[in-house]
Amino acid sequence: MLYSSQAVAKPYFIAAIALFAVQVLFGLLLGMQYIPVNLPFISFITFDAARLIHTNLLIMWLLFGFMGSIYYIIPEESEQELYNPKLAIQLFWVFLSLTIITFLGYLLLSYATFAKITGNQFFPTMGREYLEQPTIIKLGLFIVLCGFSYNIAMTVLHGRKGMINLLLLAGIVGTTIIFLMAFYNPSNLVVAKYYRWWLIHFWIEGTWELIMEAILAYVIYKITGDRKIVEKWLYIIVAVTLTTTILGIGHHYYWIGVSEYWQWVGTVFSIFEILPFFFMVLFVFNVVNCTKCQYSNKAVKLWALSTPIMAFLGAGVLGFLHTLAPVNYYSHGTQITSAHSHLAFYSTYVMIVLTMISYAMPILRNRKIVNGGLSQRFEILAFWLMTVSMFFMALFIAIAGIMQVYIQRATDLALPFIEIQNSLMILYWLRSIGGVVFLIGVIIYITKFLIAKSNNL
Amino acid sequence: MSQDISEIPDRKMAIIAESLYLLNLLILPGIAFLVLVWLFIKYDNISIGISGCHLRQTFSASIWVGLLLVLVTWVMLSTMNHDSPYTWMIIIPYFVICHSALVLLGIMGLAKALAGKKFHYPIIGPSS
Repeated sequence: MLYSSQAVAKPYFIAAIALFAVQVLFGLLLGMQYIPVNLPFISFITFDAARLIHTNLLIMWLLFGFMGSIYYIIPEESEQELYNPKLAIQLFWVFLSLTIITFLGYLLLSYATFAKITGNQFFPTMGREYLEQPTIIKLGLFIVLCGFSYNIAMTVLHGRKGMINLLLLAGIVGTTIIFLMAFYNPSNLVVAKYYRWWLIHFWIEGTWELIMEAILAYVIYKITGDRKIVEKWLYIIVAVTLTTTILGIGHHYYWIGVSEYWQWVGTVFSIFEILPFFFMVLFVFNVVNCTKCQYSNKAVKLWALSTPIMAFLGAGVLGFLHTLAPVNYYSHGTQITSAHSHLAFYSTYVMIVLTMISYAMPILRNRKIVNGGLSQRFEILAFWLMTVSMFFMALFIAIAGIMQVYIQRATDLALPFIEIQNSLMILYWLRSIGGVVFLIGVIIYITKFLIAKSNNL
Repeated sequence: MSQDISEIPDRKMAIIAESLYLLNLLILPGIAFLVLVWLFIKYDNISIGISGCHLRQTFSASIWVGLLLVLVTWVMLSTMNHDSPYTWMIIIPYFVICHSALVLLGIMGLAKALAGKKFHYPIIGPSS
């Protein structure tokens, strides 16, 4: 570890991994509610509560992962200690408390009771998909993001300014500013949806993507040692991302009640949203081919090389599959969307956070980074279990989506949603099996951190 | 003054071949393939080193692209019942997975060409 303040990343990574495991567990419970399995703990947790926990914990733990990654990268890239390490630790505890309160609220209370207790009636912002958190929690999260941005900005401003740390700064400042949209909740449903998508789209397909690109560039730089070629590619990828993403928001506006021209704008720009992922694959393999990549941590290389490939498939291809307005007319809100979101989130954000954890954790824990260690073998096994099972889960959900579109929307019969669920049962079973394998992968991944130092050679 | 294509250095020809393979798959199906065929016929015998390797690999892979994406899909479409959802549950995933895999192979080929290295398309590329 070059700078002692990089150690603040460690609690963030630990929290991220713990919340990731809980999120996956609740995802599996959700999947099992689609199939006729009568386990007592499944019926104890209602579908809506499990879904809230599954989606909201995803956002929370990814933010923990991003914050940990950025706290680790920024001192190195700025060539100086973090501006205020104490603030970073204080914000960690605040953020963790907010997350636990939200999780317990969803789990133990009805959503209406939770809204009442937290005073939603005075400033209503709850009840919108992905923005279900109580207003007071949102306010706390905004304060955490502001403190985080301040700490990072002051470090970058006082240190060396490179492409990677400036991009990370742009990503987190953008994430913070765009989060203000969470507090704007007009009574007109169309206007409310219009601005809700600003937050969701510009986080997931904008600022988070910039952060992901910067982290990937950092890890590739660390394992190849060639900063010049990495930064050259990063300029191209960022330019393409921003060019396509901003008006690509149109693909969320097709059917919410806004003007029809959004169907053209959304379609045209969304087609090109696959390009950043195309260039990411090209970038990673070009850099690896051009340099003598002799980095000893095999697991990091595996995560780093696989992330753009999986992102190309999950975010790029599966996104493209249903982003054209004439196709989306039939496919929106079906299992096809679910397939896309599962593989896209896993490949783009989960994998990059795990890549960074894989790179930084051995250094943070003063472990040797050597091939063939038991810990490495566990991590590589976990990688394959998680990645392959998620690929097949997305495939099964996508096939279910195709059938759903056909029976529910494309034929004259147009059966109601609930009547077609039995036709999809076999695919829901396969999805749940995929979920079990994924959970086993997560358990093995966590186990690798528990392996004693002496076995980590 | 435009440069004669025979004077294009080895690496550039490799990049052109890989780019044409990807263009054929992504935005100029057929047209990019015809240009690739023309390049292959004209320069295969005189191209050595990485340009010859990439020309032969992309030409062979592009023929496989046609077989896998056009012929097989056409056979499935013409033999299966269009009114059954199961037809589309097979054809759409087949086409998407096959197409994506072929594009990824092309990107890896292009990355090798950019680095000035040879590339062998697994299964669909000639072994020599």
